[in-house]
Amino acid sequence: MSGNTLHRLKNGWRVQVRVIHALMIRELHTRFGRENIGFLWIMVEPLLFAGLVAIIWRFLKGPDEHGMSIIAFVISGYIPITLFRHGVSRSVSIFVANSSLMYHRQVKIIDFVLVRFLIEVLGSMMAYVFIATILILFDQFPLPSDPGLFVAGWTLYSLFTLSLCFMIAPLSELSEILEKFIPVTTYVMVPFSGLFTMASWLSPKMREYLLWSPFVNAMEMMRKGIWGDQITAYYNIWNPLGCSLVATVLGLALCRKVRKTMTVE
Amino acid sequence: MIVCKNISKSYKHGAARKQVLDNVNFVIGRGDRVALLGRNGAGKTTLIKLIGGVEMPTSGRITRGMSISWPLGFAGGFQGSLTGYDNARFIARIYGHDYKDMKAFVEDFTELGRQLAMPVKTYSSGMRARLAFALSLAIEFDCYLIDEIILVGDQNFQRKCQHELFEKRKDRTMILASHSIEVVRQFCNKAFIIHQGRVTAYDDVDHAVDLYSAL
Repeated sequence: MSGNTLHRLKNGWRVQVRVIHALMIRELHTRFGRENIGFLWIMVEPLLFAGLVAIIWRFLKGPDEHGMSIIAFVISGYIPITLFRHGVSRSVSIFVANSSLMYHRQVKIIDFVLVRFLIEVLGSMMAYVFIATILILFDQFPLPSDPGLFVAGWTLYSLFTLSLCFMIAPLSELSEILEKFIPVTTYVMVPFSGLFTMASWLSPKMREYLLWSPFVNAMEMMRKGIWGDQITAYYNIWNPLGCSLVATVLGLALCRKVRKTMTVE
Repeated sequence: MIVCKNISKSYKHGAARKQVLDNVNFVIGRGDRVALLGRNGAGKTTLIKLIGGVEMPTSGRITRGMSISWPLGFAGGFQGSLTGYDNARFIARIYGHDYKDMKAFVEDFTELGRQLAMPVKTYSSGMRARLAFALSLAIEFDCYLIDEIILVGDQNFQRKCQHELFEKRKDRTMILASHSIEVVRQFCNKAFIIHQGRVTAYDDVDHAVDLYSAL
């Protein structure tokens, strides 16, 4: 009995991996085509965005901010926020766009969310590594003092973004009004993402409020991982973990509800 | 065996609600070739989609004891901007099938030649049907769901489909939605009449066809 369950689980996992792989390639083909640099385009956008903003800030505010290189500081904030904003906007109406794939029973609707998110994560990670390597060579970016902490922060940030995508994808299907609010919401929440500030710069009262945001906790971890002893960071890993868990559970329940009433042409 | 138990399906649009299938029960055994008969909008395509797992029933349960193809219809789940080959490769990947075999079969069966390297959105509906059909025949299923498709395409293609399906795979289960009485009489050994949300099963196909014609 338990052997049978294990066998089915293994088989299910194999099918899942096959489907994700096929969907990834399909998505990359349809989005970027096969001409010129092809799928490498996935890293160009975050790269340009973070790079250009960093240059503007460098000229507006000088080389340093609270003892951190301003270019490195801006990049460490903008690449994660690009992941979040792209992840969210890609999740809107994702089921309608892919509904013809529902003809194949092994394709589940959460696969679409997962695949698009994976592509965004891959792109921003590549962009991050690329730009940081170049800047390290020019001494504009510190060598990460604790890479493990940085990766942990990145993982939590991504995890929370993914769990939001799981919610936004079905919600955008249920209500068209929501779709109109997403761009403004993602914009308004920029100050609460830890993009411009470190918690230690703030008054204790403000800091307390800001640390309610899972993004800020993850961002503090990433920056602590990069600058180490040069800065003070405040974070609690249970905040992003807990929020991700709650959002994932809600999101998957919503996906299930949407799948039940989904009409496929 | 495919068992449908207390299946209901309704579609909601705003405040309006349309009940397409209402508490439907049936069993389809291995090797049955079932014709679905019903007027336009009676729910033939809906039933096929439910059996194929493309859409979910509003209530009730479907148990699938064999591998079932995706519904072969006009649209058939293609990505228009990808080429015929890309679509074939995608299908091969998700079904864990060898792409080389698939490619060879698709080229031979569709006779589309160089068109296969063009985006599917440039295909005519007949060409799409050929591709859809080739892809689903390249992967072996115990049960095929067919929604009118064998009636599109030219004479040569129709003959080929009938040969592949009804001669080479005559031991398989088939569920066929069709308005063509000839095809139904010739190939099916069971018939379901779908009328006003209800499904009635008949073992005598000729009798069912007569009833259907009188609807």
